[in-house]
Amino acid sequence: MKYILLMSGTRAGVQGYHAWSKQDIEAHMAVLHGINEDLTASREFVATQGLADPHEAKVVRGEKNGVPVTDGIFPESKEFLLGYWIVDVASAERAYAIAGQISAAPGPGGKPTNMPIEVRQFASHESKSH
Amino acid sequence: MKYMVMMNTMKAGQGVPAWPKKDLQAHIAFMMGLNKELHERGELVSAEGLSFPNQAKLVRAGKDGRPITDGVFPESKEFLAGFWIIDVDGPERAYAIAARISAAPGAGGTPLNMPIELRPIMSGPPQEMV
Repeated sequence: MKYILLMSGTRAGVQGYHAWSKQDIEAHMAVLHGINEDLTASREFVATQGLADPHEAKVVRGEKNGVPVTDGIFPESKEFLLGYWIVDVASAERAYAIAGQISAAPGPGGKPTNMPIEVRQFASHESKSH
Repeated sequence: MKYMVMMNTMKAGQGVPAWPKKDLQAHIAFMMGLNKELHERGELVSAEGLSFPNQAKLVRAGKDGRPITDGVFPESKEFLAGFWIIDVDGPERAYAIAARISAAPGAGGTPLNMPIELRPIMSGPPQEMV
């Protein structure tokens, strides 16, 4: 069963992250890196990506003639995807456990961030990846 | 340049299954045709649809590291319905692809003109954080 674990935050939250000390950022990244290594070892790892800063996000609509109309203006309350993990696990509980580990990654001063991680199952168990 | 192309929906977007079968088939045929074209151009990295928001869970780590799951989301929340990872020459090509997706046919064959969020993917964490 494939799941995507979504880590999201508001623009203000992202700005707060930029203010973390170097040491705190390194400790945070080390834990996330360790989770990726564990998932690789247990063969549950499919993919992970971090997305570029929200100020680079665009929203696109197709005009009648199919020409793209781009806009970079989002409501303040909008949650932006910061990064994701795709895992292939035996059960939903296992996906929740991994999300719990990610949520517990250390933040400023080494305290767990406890950030909420959204867990979503793929619509099809067959990957359409090429 | 890699981009994540995101199709978001509100919880109310569950109206999709109420479309006539013919309209659903036209929509799916459009998406499959687009994926085939992107694959042939070597631009498609992956494309996935996610299960409906009623199966989404929000997970946080409890004090003991155990996952705490919650399925309650604010009414205003946007849910990721599906996404594409594309590898293209520049932002204009990414905007063109997003506009094609935005113009996918909906009920009665009318273009949906859905807003499509486009996010550049980071090649990796900044070197000093690894």
